Amino acid sequence: MGASAALDYDAELMLRVKDGDEASFGLLLDKYRAPVSHFLYRMVQDQAVSEELAQEVFLRVYKSRETYEPAAKFTTWLFRIATHLALNWLRDEKNERAQERLDQSTEDGPTREVPDRAPSVEQEMVAEVKVAEVRRAVAALPDKQRAAVLMQKYEEMEYSQIAKVLSCSESAVKSLLFRAYETLRVRLAHMA
Amino acid sequence: MNCPIKTQKNKEWLLEYSAGRLDNERAARVARHLAMCPECARFVEAQRGVWQALSQWEPEPVSADFDRRLYSRIESQPATWLDRLFRPLQPLWHAAIPVAAACLLIVASVVLHTPQAPQVTVEKIEAEQVERTLDDMQMLRELALTPKPEGSTSKSM
Repeated sequence: MGASAALDYDAELMLRVKDGDEASFGLLLDKYRAPVSHFLYRMVQDQAVSEELAQEVFLRVYKSRETYEPAAKFTTWLFRIATHLALNWLRDEKNERAQERLDQSTEDGPTREVPDRAPSVEQEMVAEVKVAEVRRAVAALPDKQRAAVLMQKYEEMEYSQIAKVLSCSESAVKSLLFRAYETLRVRLAHMA
Repeated sequence: MNCPIKTQKNKEWLLEYSAGRLDNERAARVARHLAMCPECARFVEAQRGVWQALSQWEPEPVSADFDRRLYSRIESQPATWLDRLFRPLQPLWHAAIPVAAACLLIVASVVLHTPQAPQVTVEKIEAEQVERTLDDMQMLRELALTPKPEGSTSKSM
């Protein structure tokens, strides 16, 4: 994701969107639909909410096309919008109801598709329990720590880019990540 | 290499090494250090466990109707009157900018090369006004010096 050539191409596409080229918006949507949706899903841990937020991200990108200036990497801008929306949602919705939804979806959780090896029911259950533990451990992190971990682990962002997304310094990002991983190492130690 | 945990320097190298994202040169330095530092070796082992655990967490696939819903929302957005006015002209903007610039240059060159006639006229008018005013004052002075006819009152002036 971080290649400068890719940056230029994405920014170029967005500038074309600015000039009224709808097809370029479709290309950006194709490229970032999954990364943005998955990031938001891991942030809020609710499929319906994450898709709603992802829609809002792309809607805002589209609505901002006329004022868009390629001052930063396109992905930095994109994930900044996504993170902002996720943090706002978490702030507004962090209550008992959200926790109940998390527990419920963990119990009734989505079945992971592992078609090749046809695992036994027991293996599937063990895998689901492990994933549920990971989800709980990540969900228990403070919001900014969680965002930083998800961006580093799944989006493979550099410290500098995460810093721009979270509007803080690189050293602050490193500090956030160290505290987050320290917590995760304790919580997930038994899974190693 | 100094111990990153003890010195609190380059601690992120341990994180990146655990994730396999450190460049070869630094990775070799960390590997040499790990061979003689049990504390850092434990850190790396535990961190690798975290990364592996996180890797097991696959997100749900995005809904098939994601794009349809998004475009429906985009279309339902109320357009501003400015947007409605200029949207059909947007493809022409790129062509219009050089044309506008050329027009501006032409206008500027015409203005710069035009003799400054208006200023001369203004100065001329001002001179005529001053001249007329001086004449009027002269006339008033002469009237004031003219002996008044008998029987006239001072109210006349």
